Amino acid sequence: MNVLGELALWTALPVAAWGMVLGFLGGRQNRGDMVRSAERAVYATFGLTILASLGVIDTFLNDRFEYWYVASYSSRDLATFYKISGLWAGQRGSLLFWLLLLALFSSIAVWSNSRKNREFMPNVVGTLMTVQTFFLVVLLFADVNPFEQLGFTPVDGNGLNPQLQNYWMTIHPPTLYLGFTAFSIPFAFGVSALLTGRLDSRWITVTRKWTLLSWFFLSNGIVFGMRWAYEELGWGGYWFWDPVENASLLPWLTATAFLHSIQIQENRGMLKIWNMGLVLMTFLLTIFATFLTRSGLIESVHTFAQELKIAYIFLSFMFFIAATGTILILYRLPKLRSESRIESFISRESAFLFNNLVLLAATFAVMWGTLLPLISEGFMGQEISVGPPFFNRVNLPIGLFLLFLMGVGPVIAWRKATPKNLKKNFLGPVIVAAVVGVVLWAMGIRHGMALTTFITSTFVMSIIVVEFWKGTRARSRIEGSGVLPAFWHLVTRNRRRWGGYIVHVGIVMIFTAFAGAPWNVDVEQTLDPGDVAEITSPFGHTYRLTYEGMSTNINDREQNLAWQAVALMTVEKDGRRVGTLSPEKRQYLNRNGNPNATEVGIRSSVAEDLYVILADVDLEGVVGRNDPTAQQAHFRFMVKPLVGFIWGGIMVLSLGGLIGLWPSAEKVRSASTSAPSSGPAVAAAGD
Amino acid sequence: MPSNGRFMVGLVGVATVVTYLIWTGVSDTMVYYLTPSELLARVDEDPSFREVGVKVSGEVVPGSYREGEGTLVHHFSIVDTEDGETTIDITYQGILPDTFDDNPAMLTEAIVEGRFDADGVFQATTLLTKCGSRYEAAPESLHPDGELQQELPADHAG
Repeated sequence: MNVLGELALWTALPVAAWGMVLGFLGGRQNRGDMVRSAERAVYATFGLTILASLGVIDTFLNDRFEYWYVASYSSRDLATFYKISGLWAGQRGSLLFWLLLLALFSSIAVWSNSRKNREFMPNVVGTLMTVQTFFLVVLLFADVNPFEQLGFTPVDGNGLNPQLQNYWMTIHPPTLYLGFTAFSIPFAFGVSALLTGRLDSRWITVTRKWTLLSWFFLSNGIVFGMRWAYEELGWGGYWFWDPVENASLLPWLTATAFLHSIQIQENRGMLKIWNMGLVLMTFLLTIFATFLTRSGLIESVHTFAQELKIAYIFLSFMFFIAATGTILILYRLPKLRSESRIESFISRESAFLFNNLVLLAATFAVMWGTLLPLISEGFMGQEISVGPPFFNRVNLPIGLFLLFLMGVGPVIAWRKATPKNLKKNFLGPVIVAAVVGVVLWAMGIRHGMALTTFITSTFVMSIIVVEFWKGTRARSRIEGSGVLPAFWHLVTRNRRRWGGYIVHVGIVMIFTAFAGAPWNVDVEQTLDPGDVAEITSPFGHTYRLTYEGMSTNINDREQNLAWQAVALMTVEKDGRRVGTLSPEKRQYLNRNGNPNATEVGIRSSVAEDLYVILADVDLEGVVGRNDPTAQQAHFRFMVKPLVGFIWGGIMVLSLGGLIGLWPSAEKVRSASTSAPSSGPAVAAAGD
Repeated sequence: MPSNGRFMVGLVGVATVVTYLIWTGVSDTMVYYLTPSELLARVDEDPSFREVGVKVSGEVVPGSYREGEGTLVHHFSIVDTEDGETTIDITYQGILPDTFDDNPAMLTEAIVEGRFDADGVFQATTLLTKCGSRYEAAPESLHPDGELQQELPADHAG
């Protein structure tokens, strides 16, 4: 299997290159036979990539430590689950995994367009195969071949870093990668539109779901990473503005912009150049993110490797794509003219435009802050760096403005909003938000940014609730049915619109969670067994934590542990016993790589999390001398208000995303008609 | 083209505000990011540079860790990764990251932020560590006939 896998990887390169050349050539010469051959190359590359991936998994499952990659990321005692996920545990496997997902999506795109959108397909195939060829070249020639052998067979491998042995960390990279690779499809259609000159909004309409799919995965991937950091890194935070985190945020920001700006093009025929620019930029940022997480360009708490060769290859590819894309856009400039103009500042077009500008501004700010050490080194010979204070300072106002636009954008009138329209849509929500603001103020909330966030969130939520209410009432009148069936039909009739609103609800929840941060409680205490720590939460609850003692576990081969110290705490909330928490410190029997791990104790409720870290323990005393006085331990107690809204928010967001992604009856019908803009799909496109 | 003009006003407006935010953000929160030898050279040149908050990165000197007086006080040294000899003594108060280690096999890189105190000890307010072998372990260090090393409780609680 491993030999077959390696062979498959080598075979995939000429096959992908074949697909690339025949795709472009077939499109240019209008040769159906060439295009069909190129499309078969897409399927073949997918098959070969599956074989290669299975080959890598096989080397993991069979403990083939003569392979560099297996020796680096696995060990005999590693759980099967983590052996399989070894495929994306390190740089080498990750690149193959990226290719696998892209090959999968490419095959789906080719298959689902085997009878329609034929004018786009040759160049779509050509573009997708160019990207795949690039990844194959990297895998085979940039010293990152997952099948590279050591030349000897170690008795055992290095094992997987314990911090990576976490459920969220296992699903975080693949989810992000799904998001990154899915965006290649809109990009390929964009390139194809530029090459063929079919520059109406058709390429956007046919890739709308791909864009949403990509965005859906990116959002989830980012939040899974936050969850991992929160649970596993043991410092009580979920976002550190680390370069690698930023790298995943960048394409999310531009993809969000694209998701909105394409609606302007579909409805008003504007922003054609802008959309081409955004699709190009987002694609480049997905490559950039892959590159940044898989090279050591910028130091980061979780970068993977430090190889310059691969950095140059990636940078050259990005430069090539950027240059080609820009030239194509410039070449097609005359055909990319707007069909209409913005008539008023106070209009939906304008709100969407500002949404885009602001998202791009955030992208620029995050990128600037991330690359500042490199930029300053290059231009001033002096490395300067900025940290979380910079990113928060710049992005908080930007985020707030976005939040506000999220309320305004979906309901303000197209072209030019009349005072009547404004009053009808916004008067109620403004009053509700103002009342909530006054109440919060009266309750003693004085933190400016947080208060503004709560008020704006209320404004947005009221607008969404009113919209749902109005829509449901209207449907119920038309159908003469009850509220619930009317609500169901409302959402299912126009999934894109109502799914979008639900996504917005998720985003509002996440923003609200961020605004809870100023009220974080953070206390450190040294406790002896029997001692009690008392913590008052911002919501007025009192937690009494009794430290019952430390239990230890030494040399547990089964769990691969050198030692484990577990502090047992009983928790009372407002005088009522609610359970126990057991924060711990561990050291794994890792032969190489970091063996230490801190496992935090978290007690979640809807409003707040109680978060306990075992900060320091006299291990020598407890374990070595079995000294009862050495049970004294140092703890860090935190209360994190509203943090659960992030995890709840991503679920709501995903629900909205799924509603938008679900294949609808209209979609099926529109697929069978060649001119969707005149079919019933118009209703589906909605506003 | 009045509408395009208006659009330009919006664009320029957003660009101005964001440039302002970035500019003031950078100038108020930036820190110099130096290697130990660069930092010492700067301090030699201008002793008042001791007072400037900086970020320094270097490799944790093997065996340099010791626990300090008081809770969660840690002392260790870092060495310049380029010249391999310039070292800086560091004191850090706080929870050590899981990846912190002064084991010679680990090649832990520490990135600290802080400033020198009167005694020439670098008082770090933040400590980030990057374990050289954290993700890209070097299997070359494994021996073909290597025995599994049994690890005992570490000599310091980390």
